[in-house]
Amino acid sequence: MIGAILQVVLVVAGAPLLVGLMRQVRARMEGRAGAGVLQPWRDLRKLLRKEAINPHGTGWVFRLAPLLLAATALVVTAVVPLVTTASPLDGVADLFAVTALLALGSVALALGGLDTGTAFGGMGASREVTVLALVEPTILLSVFALSVRVGSTNLGAIVTSTVNDPLAVISPVSALAAVTLAVVIIAETGRIPVDNPSTHLELTMIHEAMVLEYAGPDLALIEWASAIRLTVLLGLLGSLFAPWGIAAAGAGPVALLVAVLALAVKVGVLGALLAAGEVFMAKLRLFRIPELLAGSFLMALLAVAASFFLA
Amino acid sequence: MTGIVTDAAMSTTLITSVPGTGSAVTGLADPAGAAGASFVLALALCLAAALVALVLPGRIRPAAAGALTAAAGAAAVVAGVRAVAGETWSAWLPDLLPLLGVRLGLDPLGGVFLAVTGAVAVCAAIYGIGYTRHGLSGRGVQAALPLFVAAMLLVPAAASVSTFLVAWELMAIASLLLVVAEHHKRAAVGEAGLWYAVMTHLGFAVILAGLAALAAVSGGDAFDRIREATPSAAAANLIFLATFAGFASKAGIVPLHVWLPRAHPEAPSQVSALMSAAMVNMGVYGVVRVGLDLLGGGPAWWWLLVLAAGALSALYGILQAVVASDLKRLLGHSTTENMGLVLIGVGAAGFFAASGSRVLAALALVAALLHVINHAAFKTLLFLAAGSVLHATGTRDLDALGGLRERMPYTTGLFALGALAASALPPGNGFVSEWLLLQSLVNSLPEGGVAHAVTMPLAVGVIALSAGLAIATFVKAFGVGFLARPRGEGAANAHESPPTMLGGMLLAGAACVALALAPTLLLPGLARAVSGVVGGTGDPVTVAGAATLRLEGIASTISPLLIAAWLVAALVLVLALPRLFAARRARRAARLWDCGAGPMTARMEYTATSFAEPLGRVFDDVLEPESDIDVTPLKESAYLVERVRFHARVPDRIERRLYEPVLAGFAVAGRAATRLANGSVHRYLAYGFYALTGALILLAVLT
Amino acid sequence: MSESTYVQLLDLACGAFLLAGVLVLWRRDLTAIVRLFAAQGAALAAIVIVLGVWQGSAELVVVGVALGGLRAGLLPYLILRALPERGGPGDGEGRETQPLVNVATSLVAAAVLALIAYAVSQPLIRLAPSPAAQAVPVALTVLLVGFFVLVTRRRALSQVVGFLLIDNAITATAFLTTNGVPLVVELGVSLDVLLAVLVLRVLTTRMRAAFGGTDLDELRELRD
Repeated sequence: MIGAILQVVLVVAGAPLLVGLMRQVRARMEGRAGAGVLQPWRDLRKLLRKEAINPHGTGWVFRLAPLLLAATALVVTAVVPLVTTASPLDGVADLFAVTALLALGSVALALGGLDTGTAFGGMGASREVTVLALVEPTILLSVFALSVRVGSTNLGAIVTSTVNDPLAVISPVSALAAVTLAVVIIAETGRIPVDNPSTHLELTMIHEAMVLEYAGPDLALIEWASAIRLTVLLGLLGSLFAPWGIAAAGAGPVALLVAVLALAVKVGVLGALLAAGEVFMAKLRLFRIPELLAGSFLMALLAVAASFFLA
Repeated sequence: MTGIVTDAAMSTTLITSVPGTGSAVTGLADPAGAAGASFVLALALCLAAALVALVLPGRIRPAAAGALTAAAGAAAVVAGVRAVAGETWSAWLPDLLPLLGVRLGLDPLGGVFLAVTGAVAVCAAIYGIGYTRHGLSGRGVQAALPLFVAAMLLVPAAASVSTFLVAWELMAIASLLLVVAEHHKRAAVGEAGLWYAVMTHLGFAVILAGLAALAAVSGGDAFDRIREATPSAAAANLIFLATFAGFASKAGIVPLHVWLPRAHPEAPSQVSALMSAAMVNMGVYGVVRVGLDLLGGGPAWWWLLVLAAGALSALYGILQAVVASDLKRLLGHSTTENMGLVLIGVGAAGFFAASGSRVLAALALVAALLHVINHAAFKTLLFLAAGSVLHATGTRDLDALGGLRERMPYTTGLFALGALAASALPPGNGFVSEWLLLQSLVNSLPEGGVAHAVTMPLAVGVIALSAGLAIATFVKAFGVGFLARPRGEGAANAHESPPTMLGGMLLAGAACVALALAPTLLLPGLARAVSGVVGGTGDPVTVAGAATLRLEGIASTISPLLIAAWLVAALVLVLALPRLFAARRARRAARLWDCGAGPMTARMEYTATSFAEPLGRVFDDVLEPESDIDVTPLKESAYLVERVRFHARVPDRIERRLYEPVLAGFAVAGRAATRLANGSVHRYLAYGFYALTGALILLAVLT
Repeated sequence: MSESTYVQLLDLACGAFLLAGVLVLWRRDLTAIVRLFAAQGAALAAIVIVLGVWQGSAELVVVGVALGGLRAGLLPYLILRALPERGGPGDGEGRETQPLVNVATSLVAAAVLALIAYAVSQPLIRLAPSPAAQAVPVALTVLLVGFFVLVTRRRALSQVVGFLLIDNAITATAFLTTNGVPLVVELGVSLDVLLAVLVLRVLTTRMRAAFGGTDLDELRELRD
């Protein structure tokens, strides 16, 4: 219980810091000074002080979308084993459920974009659901590959079994599954090469086009929820494939502290790697993205086949 | 049919009812079990509704017939629930059908389908009271609906081949009458009726052949007799293939699905709901009953075939739904997809049973049955809401709708609920059954072999892709159809539906919510239904703790109630927190971002076609969209253009590639055959004469 | 009556039955054909009455008398009424034109059909040998001859007569091979036949009014 609360607080507070870290790494590698790791928190504070906007012609769906996005992000945070494997929400801690909740958040945002009635909102929503539809097979097959060894799709069970048997990570199945999950995370969180989070050109946007009309506290919620999703997904990647340091059920305060530190380090390293990779890649054309996702689907299929034939 | 034995000895009516404790009550007296009594009551109410519809004058006809049909549906729900709880019932009426008699029987599997049909009938009947008030209140249509419901109640209760076939054909005829109810308004209705009639009767012919062969090799017509018999492998293969083809056609499985996207849009909306949410289930019921129950399982390749057909339908159906811009056609294609998912579950169940793992088979079949129930709930809701939209705006075209959330708030909210359920997202009810289905597929089977290792990942991939595409489809249907601003005149002048239509939709919505939060209530009954068919001991899915589903032998759990509760808690938290930290300012109305180029018009919105264009482009090899350009020059000069018209459509590729050549072949053969008819009456009579004398000579030679 | 009288009377009636049927192939005049049909109806009635007297069944005798009334009286009268009057506008209609197959060939064909009928009915006779059963080939011959008339005659009314010959033959077969057809069945069949004749009468009159003739070869031009 304490572990779960700690996890939520840590992620909620640290997600903007992660985004700041990634931007800082990118800036340094591009030869700029960067705005500092705390800049996203300053942006959130600024946005919270502004007034919210109700564009003409929008309705309750537009107002509900940021709330639903943030709510799903919070639930997922409490469920995924980042600091501790014992979640109080064990009935929800299923990998299928987590991916479905994340999809619900994306759907809420897409509907918010459609509710504006602008061409950009519709465009963003259309592209977002295209990417979402094509990413689903990869996600579920990676979950399948991970669960074959353990015999369950429960997140706690998968992480615990990896903790008990660390060498099982060094297998073709795990390697393939890790790569496919990395591609999935990039697609779900809208990073380069699928989507550029810092673009200003509307016609190249996927995620940003949906949130073009939001301002003030709504926009703060959305940015923050997106940061939480990125943090949680990177943390999940770390927990599934490098679960060292994670606290088991009923661990003492020292173990929890160690787990917190380990989480921060793992997520920081993964974020920095991702940001560094983004410096060297360009965003793909929209119609090249299905090829990327088809490639990751093939790798996930190979992972599952390998898990059957090598088991 | 030389093998059929007629029970001519019993000329009295024999009714037995077996309550859960096992005591039998035989005789002419009233049946003691509530299941039988409720079932008979339901049938009687349907007949009463039909009579009332024929007799009463026009103004009160819809209300009276609708109320009686709804009562019949409620009685059927009670009967189904009792049957699922273990109260079996049977009846034998030898005089009703010449030579073979009518045998009825309720068991848990039939009870599930009975309850589903009854529930859908309640919602559709109440909705129909308001919907049919203008234009559809004729005697024929009002009388045909209760008869359709009665036939659909008889199919799961049939306990002999002849009763089953009679009920099946009644269902087909009644639904055909209802599909062509509005044929004088649109020409497409007649064409849809023709396709539907031909395909349903071809399916019936094939089912008749299969079941008659089964009765012949078993030496008896009753299901009990058939269960005991063991047909040879070749006979069983042929019977299964024939009946599977017929039942798959009824369930809308590719490639026999072409009637579904034609007939469902053209039928009146409550009929579409009944057909899509209750009638297609009968195809699934047939496959489970004949394949798993009567034929006793069969070899694994049968079930791999079922699984493959289900997977193909799921993908193809949802792809067609993604690019459809007609709302009801989209929902019809979504029915194909969901029935494909159900058949994946049924196929997996049969495959696991044939491979020896009864636990996994039971789990897969429970998942399939739960998906049938969930699909019935949300598909009813969606079709009734689409009917509301049609009733209010006069159009089904998503490109011309939009902006309905102000003028039709209840319908919008209810459609949103149905869309959430249909896209298999939590906290909707579609998510639970899809989760169960995935769980049954991802668990390894020790003796599965190569077949298992190859099919399960592909099946999971197909389910995942169809789930993703379903999300895209229903975001499109809800977002483009109901949000933003109206794009057409019909949508701009929409009005909310009358209370009876809203009542029907609310009932369906309440069922969706109940199924989403408390699916655990159904699980003991479903386990009982499944154990009678697949065998095995113990419940594959049990309830533990706060409405959590726990699987037997598999260490996965899920709690839909917990997910919903925590989502609501997080929503409240997220709503409250910014209020605490942010400055309290009123929301300001502002202009939308239009690049500074002037006021936004509804013409600038994304339509359904544009929304689906990226996905259509990704899958254009499968969909093969067609487009052409017509250039009309001016009358005076061929060099000046008066109008350029661009058509783009996505035809059903299977229809193009498979059906059109076959129909063209028939047309060619027909034209060739007209040479046989050269107008001379003598020639025609001579054909008969030659045939007769030829037959007689042959007879004389052979004997 | 004694057995030999019975057999003789039966054979006589059957012979008249067959002769009437074959003579329809020979005569070309429509009025004569209809009169031959009436004679055959009387022969059929005789067959049934003889059978009824032999079996001692009053019901069969009554049925025979009713049959005679219908097929020898009412039906020929109706058909004759459908013919145009002498000296009226369609006077040339009275005579059948050259049939599709000329008379000599028709008679040879009748002989061949008789052989086929005899060959086919052997198993039937072997099943229950009795004088009545041995007369079945006659009835089958008349059936095939009636069908032949239907196929090869040009005038619609001759075809009606051919159809009625078939029906007579079927009735004769029924009475010769069984103990008697239930009254209900006979009633139903007779009503069918009556209705068919009435409808065809109306049709012929209409055809004559619309197209000025009922020659089927000319009517063939109507096909598109």
